[in-house]
Amino acid sequence: MIISRAPMRISFVGGGTDLPDFYKRYPGRVISTCIDKFIFIAINHAPFTNHVAARYSVSEEVEHPSELKHSRIREALLDVGIHNNIEIASFAPIPARTGLGSSSSFSVALLRGLCAYTGRRLDKRAVAEAACRLEIDLVKEPIGKQDQYAAAFGGFNVLQFNADGSVDVEPLLLDYKKRLQMEAHLILFFLGTTRDASSVLAEQKANTERNFEVLKRMSDSVPAFKDALLRADFKRAGEMLLEGWTMKKQLVSSISNPGIDRMYEVAMGHGAWGGKILGAGGGGCLMMLAPLERRAGVVEALKKAAMAEGLEGAGEIPVSFVQTGGEVLFHSNGF
Amino acid sequence: MQEYIRQFADQAIALLGSLPTVEIAKAMNILQAAFERDGRIYVIGNGGSLALATHWVADFNKTVFSHNLNEEQRRFQAIRLPTTEEELTAWANDIGYDMVFAGPLQNYIQETDVLIAISSSGNSENIIRAVNLARSHQVPVIGLSGFDGGRLNPLCDAKILVATPMAEYELVEGIHAVILHLFTKYFKDCFDSVARLQKS
Repeated sequence: MIISRAPMRISFVGGGTDLPDFYKRYPGRVISTCIDKFIFIAINHAPFTNHVAARYSVSEEVEHPSELKHSRIREALLDVGIHNNIEIASFAPIPARTGLGSSSSFSVALLRGLCAYTGRRLDKRAVAEAACRLEIDLVKEPIGKQDQYAAAFGGFNVLQFNADGSVDVEPLLLDYKKRLQMEAHLILFFLGTTRDASSVLAEQKANTERNFEVLKRMSDSVPAFKDALLRADFKRAGEMLLEGWTMKKQLVSSISNPGIDRMYEVAMGHGAWGGKILGAGGGGCLMMLAPLERRAGVVEALKKAAMAEGLEGAGEIPVSFVQTGGEVLFHSNGF
Repeated sequence: MQEYIRQFADQAIALLGSLPTVEIAKAMNILQAAFERDGRIYVIGNGGSLALATHWVADFNKTVFSHNLNEEQRRFQAIRLPTTEEELTAWANDIGYDMVFAGPLQNYIQETDVLIAISSSGNSENIIRAVNLARSHQVPVIGLSGFDGGRLNPLCDAKILVATPMAEYELVEGIHAVILHLFTKYFKDCFDSVARLQKS
């Protein structure tokens, strides 16, 4: 038995610049932090069964991995060349499609576990690249590279996407005081509605040419956002999120809808500095930065507004930032 | 006499003034990650560096949570290797001095762990063997070296080099002790703050 995990992440600025249509013309940049919400994967060698099992929100048992409906597990097993006698189960603390990058956390945890299963050891960069290859080349998701790198490396990072496809990972060295302050200012509010990242991203990809200048400004704003965090100027950081949100809404029509706009306005009306919808947009989580004395009021107002909007399951998700990335926590090594 | 003392103090002050802060910060993030995944931290060194390792382990395992020992279910697990003189002499006598750290490390090492290697020259063969073993397991390595960093410094994930002329052991080991105490103080302050937040 092997148990692996990878963290989810909050992406602050620069989403969309990690797509090749953009970074082949201009360096893409994203700043994000991993959080204490993990996708866990359990992999069991089952020599006396004659099947491949995948257990997630449904339970699949098939004779060959090519019959699996779960695209990431299917393509990963086919790619690694494991065709039998394996059971893979996944566990998550919150629903899929919250905009916390959980699909890529899943891929990183899965690949970490499968590497341990086949006796290979990959470094963080190799795991990140393997997850990109799995999701983009094999599963053919129209997504970028930021989430795979965030989940594989862990911590708070500035990622830069270069024209040659390479990715620079620069850790943001925040001391514990600033980290705890930032966590106190941050509100993560699950909107209850779920969305499919690929549909929004497909539109974003198609629109990249038209919106090249907007994405360029977002990429260029990453260093200033980083500096604001290092100064613990969370008011400025919040204002920059507001600017980014306004810019990003110009990118795609489906990134926001009237309901989400109203929720955002509720948070702003109760004193938040700024924020964004996490992930590719169109639902998921609202992330806001707010003054400490206004925080509780913003959360209460969001809860009321979510009820009024009929957003089932909406609510605050408490988070803290973590340094740890994709890892194998347990390996029984044949016993 | 006082001039001699002053000169030594000035050298120490200059080294403290040019501490590799980025690498020390990376080391603290590596230790934070080890705590989050409940991994162990192995510390190795020869001679005075072994004394530093032992001293640090005693401090780090207890002092970090000294204000909230009862509240914290999870604590750091720092281990000096080898853990006993018997194990050290057995490996040295039976296998060879080059294996006194890598041999015992092999018994413990898991992917979730961290290695701290302390070597003023950075060239001790037994240290390099243990570092290479850790690297082959994808275990992050924090290196504390002196002089020109030797073979150790480039192998590490956090490259804490106290750069001095060759053979300035007294200065290097003294500054290493300060850095190790900084690790302890940082996490003590950090977990004190977390505990206060949880109570408020």
